[in-house]
Amino acid sequence: MKKKSKILGAAGEKVLLTGNEAVARGCLEAGMAVGTAYPGTPASTIMEKLGEVANELGFWAEFSVNEAVAFEVAAGAALAGVRSLMSTKMLGVNLIADALTVISVTGVRGGLVIVTADDPQQFSSQNAEDTRFFGMLAKVPVLEPGDGQEAKDMTRYAFDLSEELELPVFVRITPRICHSSFDVELGEIRKPKRDGKFVKDPKRFVMISTYSRPRQAILNEKIERVKGIFNTNRWNNIVDFQNGEIHPPGKVFNTFGVIASGLTYPYVEEVLEATGISARVMKLATTYPLPEDFISDFMRDLDQVLIVEENDGVTELQTRALAQRRRLNVRIMGKDDGLIPRSGELNPDLVGDAFEKLFGKKFRDDLTEPYLEAEDMVSKRVPSLCAGCPHRASYYAIKEALKKKGLGGTVMGDRGCYNQGAYEPLEGIDTCICMGASIAMASGLAHSGTDEPVLSVIGDGTFYHAGIPSLLNAVHNRANIVSLIFDNSITAMTGHQVNPGSGVNLMGQHTGYANLRKIVEACGVENVRVINAFDIRKLVDAVMEEMDNEGPSVIISRAPCALVVERNMRRRKLKTPVAVVDLDKCVGCKVCMKKIGCPAFSWSNDPKPHLVIDAHCNGCGLCVETCPFGAISVPGKPDSSLGITVRKEVEE
Amino acid sequence: MNVILCGVGGNGVVLTTRIIAEAALREGTKVRVGEVHGLAMRGGTVVSHLRLGPDAKGVLVPQRKADILLAFEPLEALRQMKFLKQGAKVILNNEPFVGVDAHLGLSRYPEVCDIISQIEKVQDLVDVPATQLALEAGGVVMTNVVMLGTLSASKELPISRESLIEAIRSRVPPMMVDANLKAFQLGEKAFKEWEAKKTCPPS
Repeated sequence: MKKKSKILGAAGEKVLLTGNEAVARGCLEAGMAVGTAYPGTPASTIMEKLGEVANELGFWAEFSVNEAVAFEVAAGAALAGVRSLMSTKMLGVNLIADALTVISVTGVRGGLVIVTADDPQQFSSQNAEDTRFFGMLAKVPVLEPGDGQEAKDMTRYAFDLSEELELPVFVRITPRICHSSFDVELGEIRKPKRDGKFVKDPKRFVMISTYSRPRQAILNEKIERVKGIFNTNRWNNIVDFQNGEIHPPGKVFNTFGVIASGLTYPYVEEVLEATGISARVMKLATTYPLPEDFISDFMRDLDQVLIVEENDGVTELQTRALAQRRRLNVRIMGKDDGLIPRSGELNPDLVGDAFEKLFGKKFRDDLTEPYLEAEDMVSKRVPSLCAGCPHRASYYAIKEALKKKGLGGTVMGDRGCYNQGAYEPLEGIDTCICMGASIAMASGLAHSGTDEPVLSVIGDGTFYHAGIPSLLNAVHNRANIVSLIFDNSITAMTGHQVNPGSGVNLMGQHTGYANLRKIVEACGVENVRVINAFDIRKLVDAVMEEMDNEGPSVIISRAPCALVVERNMRRRKLKTPVAVVDLDKCVGCKVCMKKIGCPAFSWSNDPKPHLVIDAHCNGCGLCVETCPFGAISVPGKPDSSLGITVRKEVEE
Repeated sequence: MNVILCGVGGNGVVLTTRIIAEAALREGTKVRVGEVHGLAMRGGTVVSHLRLGPDAKGVLVPQRKADILLAFEPLEALRQMKFLKQGAKVILNNEPFVGVDAHLGLSRYPEVCDIISQIEKVQDLVDVPATQLALEAGGVVMTNVVMLGTLSASKELPISRESLIEAIRSRVPPMMVDANLKAFQLGEKAFKEWEAKKTCPPS
């Protein structure tokens, strides 16, 4: 029996929801008709949760091939008058910018909401960019919920606002909203209105310059109107704190103020309650454009204002401009003066430190000797690819091939699970920049005049997402590179979402699937091979041979994600094979560890130093290849079929 | 009340946190849970912050303000010590997970006894062979339920045994309920044994 989705609870019920689930529920309460996303931590589960209930409730949900496409799909539906959502991590907003900056000009008909997850602490991101700048760039309003309840309610409201203004709306969250759980009171689910009809209006939707120019003024008027709407937004509130107590505004008089946006408000609340520092505090939920009258009224009687916000000083920047324009004599503090840290996510202690600097009252309980000793004793665990991961085999083969060739070599990396191969001992990639960068950057390196072999590594999901144009370019411009596509036929990094290679979509429909080999061939690549990732000897030979071939060549190194294999075997009640160590042969040299560092490896000194392989092993057999003494074997697994393949397309 | 739960990927930290949070919600207590589990599929650090009642404001527990630590792994317990009040209750599964990085010398894993004595300098530590007890109950996967049993028996949590068991029931497949109840009871028994040992030290 399938468990009922948590986001389907009855109205009035109070349930424990993650921020992402709350956003998904908000979409249901708004009667959303179309939802799109490309998976990206920490936002991935929004669309997963929506996908679980899409058929039941009758809306469309999809994982699109990339964020730009996802946004354009959502925009197409919004132009037809239905409510649409696009959810993404902040780096995906870079991709949607092209369309977003024009869709804001045309405006929409049905509500179009973009939920974006910023990552100030960079738990899973290459940078810590602040989406709010894209709000400014495209003139798209930004809402910032502070907890799960607000994540739900403000998502629902974002659709109303978007329709009222005929303008897309951002809802900006962070991992501390996405992955945290909150008690959330549910509202009524609205039946999705999926009755799209595109009404032609070329002067509005055909953005050739003659038609676009007059619409710029309309956009500028809209954003002015939003300021007024935000002045009375129900999530923008002011309270006074005195001696650790909260008072409604006007009851006590403070000349020190705080503007706290999104989830930083509870941090401020906690610090003020604990320290008894007095302050007038604005909880700001609309961070672009600012509610200008509301904020200048707030600042009029203040001497100083501290602005607390995640990522960059975006509210601070706008508040300074506002104070100057309205001639307010108030000292504005925050990120510019370093009082609030510029990098990393905030927490109550860091907010407390800022108040300590200003008022001399301490919030933080300092770490005393035993705590500091404990800090010295711990070291970070080095992340790793999973046991049995085919990427480990591919990296191992690349390394062996480069070693045999003896010419050095550079491996341009991409974005995905395989980034875990960057750590010791594999150290398999030399760059990791953004989705799809590997092949193009390898091409650039090849044209730079380097005399070392140039390779690139990209996963199947990333190749569909942004790798194809780069490969076309490499062919068109004769880049002398060897590109490996690590094909596990799923988007593994973010939790095994479907992709165009899966043959099934988020709605559960069976679809045609992308034929990787044919795509590569159709790009004009002459040297293409598909090899089982665990067929190490063949893979090593292929990499070596392709380094000698002129022009771009592609090796598709294919085997399913180890976690998917394990799950499928468990479902069929099959036992995965496990590698065993022959104690008579193992000399304790640790060569296996140094070469592949599999997390299933452990160590024992009893009765002599030797490798131990634990229950995490799923018998991929890669370690068998690494042992110089033949001490490891996988019983019940013939040599010739190392690894299990998804489809029977692996060929000679 | 502030509770920290920690372990490595695969320990069930996230699930355990949700079980407690749901039990608290069942009793009408305000709840906030902050989790970090990026890239923690296998063997990576996982930690969650659980805040109950009036402390449930932001999702993050400030430094040295947690009342309880439920630690599924010794080194991870040490890593989270900075969040604990002096005298906080630490319930520790004493089964270490030494990653291959430590065997390669890329990171360092201290002796478990050194970890325990370091924590005991400032905290009240209950050391439970939870992994072993889970095996006894029927499988390693129930280690977290053993730990919940110990936590429940310690009476540190303002949540009733019944609510915790109800929350476990709603989270596990029907065929596994009995084994989980056994795991829970073994955890409770472990606490009682620890208490007895503490009150009458061996002569």
